[in-house]
Amino acid sequence: MSRPNRSDRGARLRRRSAGVRRWLERRALVLTTLVTAGVLAVMLYLPVGVVFVEAVIDDGTATLAFFRAVLTDPFYVGVLADVFAEPLAVRAHLESLVGWLGAISVSVSIESPLPGVSLPIPWLALEVPPIRKGLFGFTAYQAALSTIASVALGLPAAYVLANYEFRGRRTLRSLTILPFVLPGIMVAVGFYAMFGRAGTLNQGLGMLGLGPIPFMEWNPLAIVIVAHAFYNAPLVARVTVAAWESVDARSVETARSLGASPRRAFRDVVVPQLLPAILTGALLTFIFTFMTFPIVLALGGLQLATVEVWIYDRVRRLAYSEAATLAVLETLLSLALTYAYLRYESAQSGLARAATAPSRTPLFPDLRTALSPRRLAIIGYGLVALVVFVGPLASLVVGSVTDGNGVTLAHYAFLLERQLEGASYQTLPWVAIRNSLLFGVATLAVAVPMGVVVSVVTVRAGRGGTIVDTLAMLPLAVSGVVFGIGLLQGLVFGVSLPGGWRFQVTGGVAIVAAHAVAAYPFVTRNVSPLLSTLDPALVESARALGASRYRALRDVELPLVASGIVAGAAFAFAISIGEFSSTVILASGSQTYTMPVAVERYLGRRSGPAIAMGTVLLVVTAASFVVVDRVGGRFER
Amino acid sequence: MTDLRLEDVSKVYGADGTGTSALEDVDITVRDGEFFTLVGPSGCGKTTTLRTIAGFEAPTDGAIRFDGREMAGVPPERRDVGVVFQSYALFPHMNVAENVGYGLRFREPPDGETVDKRVADLLKLVDLEGMGDREPDQLSGGQRQRVALARALAPAPDLLLLDEPMSALDAQLRESLRRQVTRIQSELGITTVYVTHDQAEALAISDRLAVMHDGRVEQVGRPQEIYREPATRFVAEFVGDNNVFEGDVRGRNGEYSQVAIDGETISLPALPDGADRAAFCVRPGALSQAADHNRLPVTVETSEFLGETVRVNGRWNGRRIVLQLSDVPESDELTVGFAPADAHIIDQD
Repeated sequence: MSRPNRSDRGARLRRRSAGVRRWLERRALVLTTLVTAGVLAVMLYLPVGVVFVEAVIDDGTATLAFFRAVLTDPFYVGVLADVFAEPLAVRAHLESLVGWLGAISVSVSIESPLPGVSLPIPWLALEVPPIRKGLFGFTAYQAALSTIASVALGLPAAYVLANYEFRGRRTLRSLTILPFVLPGIMVAVGFYAMFGRAGTLNQGLGMLGLGPIPFMEWNPLAIVIVAHAFYNAPLVARVTVAAWESVDARSVETARSLGASPRRAFRDVVVPQLLPAILTGALLTFIFTFMTFPIVLALGGLQLATVEVWIYDRVRRLAYSEAATLAVLETLLSLALTYAYLRYESAQSGLARAATAPSRTPLFPDLRTALSPRRLAIIGYGLVALVVFVGPLASLVVGSVTDGNGVTLAHYAFLLERQLEGASYQTLPWVAIRNSLLFGVATLAVAVPMGVVVSVVTVRAGRGGTIVDTLAMLPLAVSGVVFGIGLLQGLVFGVSLPGGWRFQVTGGVAIVAAHAVAAYPFVTRNVSPLLSTLDPALVESARALGASRYRALRDVELPLVASGIVAGAAFAFAISIGEFSSTVILASGSQTYTMPVAVERYLGRRSGPAIAMGTVLLVVTAASFVVVDRVGGRFER
Repeated sequence: MTDLRLEDVSKVYGADGTGTSALEDVDITVRDGEFFTLVGPSGCGKTTTLRTIAGFEAPTDGAIRFDGREMAGVPPERRDVGVVFQSYALFPHMNVAENVGYGLRFREPPDGETVDKRVADLLKLVDLEGMGDREPDQLSGGQRQRVALARALAPAPDLLLLDEPMSALDAQLRESLRRQVTRIQSELGITTVYVTHDQAEALAISDRLAVMHDGRVEQVGRPQEIYREPATRFVAEFVGDNNVFEGDVRGRNGEYSQVAIDGETISLPALPDGADRAAFCVRPGALSQAADHNRLPVTVETSEFLGETVRVNGRWNGRRIVLQLSDVPESDELTVGFAPADAHIIDQD
C-alpha cells in the first residue's frame, strides 16, 4: 500500500514544483529587474548619495559652508574665487576682465629662428598675461590640451582608415577599441618605461652617444597629454571613420556632376557630415580627460594634480568633507558635460547609412605613388603613431627584461622573491593576480545579468526606457574616485538603519560592487544594439506558440544576442582587471589589492618591478581583448 | 472548434486613454471554421485588431471572447492561437524542424503523436517534406512563409491568425500560396483571421470579410455582398473600381426616383421617402454605350488595355468616371448609360 502512496505524494510534489517553476518563469523578468534595481540602488545610488550628503552636512546640520569655502578659495577656482565671493560686484569683475584682455599683446616681427642660418621668417607672437587657473581651471586646461592633441592625432588616422585600402586595415580599425580595455595605470607605467630617465627612449639615445634627457622632469604635462592622446585619439578616429564610411559616395558624385571640384565637393558634402562625429569624439575626450586619474597620479603626481588626484589625496589624509565637496562639484560638472554630450548626440542621430559606401584607394600600389607627397605625409604620420601607440607598450615589455646594463630577469626575480619571502603587510604579486582574477570573475557574474536586464528593459520599454537608460548609465558620468569614496563611506564604513541595524559591506565584496557597477554599462552597450534590431515578431511568435515572456527571452532573444553578451562580458572582465580609481581607495590598508594597485605601490619605490607587474597586467588584458575581438565586440552604441 | 467574438473593442494609445484612437467599437463575430478577413488601407486598425485577438495588446474597452470565454488578462502563450507574421519571424538560430517544433515544447502534440512525427506531418502538409534540416536563410521567401505556417499550426491551435503573410512575395507566388493556404484551412477546418490591405485578395479567399477604415468597421459581409452592396461610400470606393455620385433628390417618377447632378437628371431605384440627398454607385462594367437610360457624355482621358477588357478613365461634367469596355474607344468623346437597377444606393450617415 505504501508504494502507490509514495508515488502519489511524488506526483503531487512534482506538480507543485512544476507550478512553482511556472510561477517563477512567469515572473522571472520582473524579479530579475527588481533585483537589478536593488543592486543599483545599494551599490550605485546609495554611495553617490552618501557623497552628496557628506558635502552638505556638518555635525548633523545642513550647511553650504563647504561649498562656499571651496568656491571662494583661489587654490581651487583661481581668479573665479573673487567672482564667487562677491557675485554681485559685476562691474568690478568686468573691469578686471577688460584689464586682462587689454594686457594681451599680439606682435609681428621678422626673426631668424634657425641659429646660424639667416632665414627671415615673419614671427607672430601672442603674449597672454598669467592667470591663476586654480585646481578646476588647471583640470579643464589639461583636458582641453589633451582634447586638441587627441583630435590632431586621431583625424589623420581616420582619414587613412576611411580612404585607403591596405593590409591590416580592418585589424587596425578594430584595434581602435583597445584603449577601453587597457588599464590606465599600465599605460602610465608604459609611458614611464618609455620616457623615464632609464627608459627605452634614453637607452636608444645612449646608443647614439646622446642623453640622457630627463623628459619626465622636463615637461611632465606634455607626457600626460601624450598619454591622454594615446587613450582618446583612437576614440576620435573611431567615431570619425564611422561617419566617413556612412557618407554616400553618390552624394559626392552628385556634387561633382553639378560642377563642384573634388576639393569643393569634399568641403560641401563630406566635411559637414564629419563635423558632428569629430565634435562627439572631442566632447567625449574632454569628459574622459577631465576625470582623468591614474595617468596623472603616476606620471605627474601632486605637482600636476587634477581635481580627481586632489580628491584622492584628501581621502588619504582623511579629509572626507573636503573630498566629498570637491567630488560633488566635479560630478556636477561632468554630469553637465555628459548631458551636453547626450543632447548633442541625439540632435544629430539622423546619421544616414550610406547607400553606396565610398571606395578606398590602395595605399601603396607601386613605388612611384609611395613617394608622392601625400603618401610620404601618411608614412610620416604612421611613424609618429607608431611611437605614440606602440612605443609605450613595447617599452613596457622591453623595460621589464632590461635594466641600464642589458637584458635581465631581475625584475621578475624580485616579484618572485617578494612573493616567496615577503611579509604579509607587503604587496605580494600572486595575491594581486589572484585577487584580480577572482574579482574579474565575480564582476562577470554580477555585471552580465545586470547589463542584460537593463538592456531588455530599456529596449522593450519604449519611452519609459529612455529614463531607465539615463538612470542606469550614471556610472559613465561619475568618476571612479568619487564612486570609491561613496562606497568607502556608504558601504565599508556602513550606514545606520532604523532599529539599531547596520548595513555594512567590506573588502572584496565592495570592490566587486564597484567593478560591477563600472562594467555593466559596457554589457548593456554591447547587447542593446543587437536586441533593438531583433524583429519583435520573433518574440511574439514564440509567445503565441506557448512560450512565457521569460522563455521567449531564453529561447529566442538571448541566443540571438549571444555574441553581444560575450563581448560585453569580455569588456566587463577587462574593466574589472584594469579598474584602478575605486579599487585603490577601497583596497587601502587591506589584503584586497589588485594588479593595478600593486603596480602603483611598486611604482612608488622601484620602477623595475612595477614595469614587470605592468607587463603581467598587459598579458592578462591582451588575452581578454583577443576574446572581445573574436566575438566582434563594440563600444559604439 | 472555436468561434471568436469581438464586442465593442476599442483601443486608445497614450496615457489615460487620452491619446490617439486606434480602434473604435469594433464588433465582429467570426464563426467556427470560418475564413474571415480584415481588409483596409494601412493604418485602418486591422493589424491592431489582430494583435488584440492574439493578446499582444490589450483593448482599452470591450471584450474578446473565444467560445464565449472572456480573454482579458490571458497572456498570448495561453490563448492557443497560431500567428503568422508578414516578416515570418522564423527563429534564425534554429533549423526548419526546430522552428516547427518550437510550440511543441509547451504543448503536447495532438492525438498522442510524437514531436518528430508531428513536425514531419506539418512539413508534408506545406509541401516541404524532408526540409527539416535546412536553415531559415537557405530558404526562398515562399518556403519561409510555409515554414511559418507549419510552425503556427504544429501545436493544433484553436485559432489561426495571419498578418499580411503574402505581402512580401511576388504576384505569381502569392496566388499559388493563397490557394495552398485556403486548401489547408478548409482541410483542417480551423477558424482563421486573415489581415490584408489587398481588397482583391480579400474578395478572392474569404468566407466573409470586414472592411475597416480609421479604426472602425465599415461593413461585414460575404464577398459578393461587399462588392455588390457596399454599405458606405468608403467601401464603395475601396472595394473594386467604382463610380460614386451624389445628388439632390427631385422626386418620384413611377418606380424610379429622380436625382439631379449638376442639372442632369438621373433615374435611380426608389429612394426612401423624405430623403433630400442621395449617394449611389455604378460599377464600371454596368456603364455601356448600348444602355438607353441615364445617358452620360464622357470625355476619354486615358485607356488601359487589360487583355479581356479595357479600363477607360474619363470625365463627365468634370467628374472622374471609370468605364470598362471591350475595346479601346475610337473617339475621345463617347456616351454611356446605365439601367437604374444597376445603381446601388449608399446609406447616407
